[in-house]
Amino acid sequence: MQLSIRQLLPTYFDKKVTETSEIWGKDLVFNKGDLIKIVAPSGSGKSSLINFLYGLRTDYNGNILYDDKDLGKFSLEILSKYRKDHISIVFQDLRLFEDQTVRENLEIKRQLNPYHPPEKITEMTGRLGIGSKLESRCGTCSYGEQQRIAIVRSLLQPFDILLLDEPFSHLDNKNSEKAMELMLEEARLRNATIIFADLERIDYFPFTRLYHL
Amino acid sequence: MALSFKPIRPLLQTGTNSWSRWFSYIGLGIGVLLLLCSVQMYINIQRLLKEGNIRKDGYDFVSITKTVTNATMGRPEQNLFTQTDIEEIKTQPFLEDVAPLLANQFRVKLSAGEVLPFSTDLFLESLDDAFIDTVPPSFTWQPGQMNLPIILSSDFFEIYNVFAPGQDLPQVSKETASGIPVVITCEGNGQQQSFSGRIVAFSDRVNSVLVPINFLDWANKTFGTPKQLEAARLFIKTKDANAPDLIQFLDQKNYKVNRDKTILGRNKILIQSIFSGLGIFGLLVVILALMLFSFYLQLVIARSKDNLRLLLMLGYSPGWLSTNVSRRFIPVYIMIVIVALGLTQLMHWAFHHYAMYDRPELSSFVHWSVVVIAVALIGLSLFTNYRLVKNLLYKLH
Repeated sequence: MQLSIRQLLPTYFDKKVTETSEIWGKDLVFNKGDLIKIVAPSGSGKSSLINFLYGLRTDYNGNILYDDKDLGKFSLEILSKYRKDHISIVFQDLRLFEDQTVRENLEIKRQLNPYHPPEKITEMTGRLGIGSKLESRCGTCSYGEQQRIAIVRSLLQPFDILLLDEPFSHLDNKNSEKAMELMLEEARLRNATIIFADLERIDYFPFTRLYHL
Repeated sequence: MALSFKPIRPLLQTGTNSWSRWFSYIGLGIGVLLLLCSVQMYINIQRLLKEGNIRKDGYDFVSITKTVTNATMGRPEQNLFTQTDIEEIKTQPFLEDVAPLLANQFRVKLSAGEVLPFSTDLFLESLDDAFIDTVPPSFTWQPGQMNLPIILSSDFFEIYNVFAPGQDLPQVSKETASGIPVVITCEGNGQQQSFSGRIVAFSDRVNSVLVPINFLDWANKTFGTPKQLEAARLFIKTKDANAPDLIQFLDQKNYKVNRDKTILGRNKILIQSIFSGLGIFGLLVVILALMLFSFYLQLVIARSKDNLRLLLMLGYSPGWLSTNVSRRFIPVYIMIVIVALGLTQLMHWAFHHYAMYDRPELSSFVHWSVVVIAVALIGLSLFTNYRLVKNLLYKLH
């Protein structure tokens, strides 16, 4: 799937930012398999961008097109289909069901459109070092653990685009690398685009394109 | 593999304090029961008051007269139906047909000849054959024919058998009476002629002594004084003699129906209004209960809004969620309606058995339309719930 953005700018941003930004106010096309790194200092609209791309917010000017279809015109029903089949995300604020166990959280996502069998949950969580937490309530897990749960959850569905919003903010380098490795593997498996927005450059993400927001 | 609602169910916080849910269930039950009972009773009344009449080919035949009051006494022109009256009645949409009962305009005497020492002044009437319940093929007359076929009212015949012993006359059976030739003597215009009358049939519907129309026409011309033909009685043919608009029309024209069934008809209007009122009340209770339940659903969704919002973010479709959330209540809704239907059946059976002594016009089972309404109510409840949940989910996003 191809993702294009045209003259995208949050309604609450001054037009002046388009002069310095490599994304706001520009026309860009992201193709299948692209690994996009977006370096975005605080306040530059990183989470806004990810939310726009995921269809969570519409307070922007310009257009976001998935295969030439305008995201702004999607109904909630269509949007849910895209989120189920084509676009996956790791939220900055994770967004897990705190009262459910880790396994339940992952299964809720997996069953929606099973790309992997249930056993894959055990395997992936094992690789990221949270295998022993599967039956624990999510709310009791540390932030770092929750971040890894959110990463695994994003990999259980089919996707053409994986949106990452500061996915490693609470992980040490070792764990971040392991998680990145897993995500890259899964993206390759699907020939998917990764759009990785973070505060700074990260060495272990082999981006094909780099943008400064 | 089909998407399972099971892992989603715990995310819906239904809460422990669900009094509004239980109130709405009870309210719905009462409302549905009221509605179904009213419909069933409405149908019962309809059936009870329709059957048992003297009907032919699905029509009621009743005779009407003008009410004789002190003001109109002795003024036959005001108590008879004119041609204009008849034409007006004919145009009424609830009447299929009208026919006048024409009477003799000359003197008629009946005697039983030599068989029975019985003689009396008599009246003869004629009515369109289509309005008579029993018309044998022999009920015809040709000019010059001395045999006169008669259709006698069953009621008149009964009356004869009542007073016969007191008059030292023999009581007779219908079969015997049909075999006895009577002498009908017509007098007038200085002429007199006797005919050999024979009862060819008895009528339960027409309280009269009926002869073929062409005989009466001929006899009125021959023995009577020619004048405008006016009828004291009219026979009307209608789909339902108890129809409210018919009764209203008759009341308005001050016409009197010579049958008790319109008294039932008057009661029918009253009883049906009572049950219509109860039915409407039941429907209101159903609507109130559904509204109460919608508050409960709104509460559930408000409590679970974070979870539901996250499910939508993860890609769960609002349609699927709405269907599954509302589907949760299908068993309880079906249960409520089935219990109400069961109670309606019980009430109807008790009415039929204890109040109506198993009258054959009614079935012991509820009418199919009651079941249809019950099913429709389940559908309505589920549909309103589905719409409500879907709208709330759309608002969440």
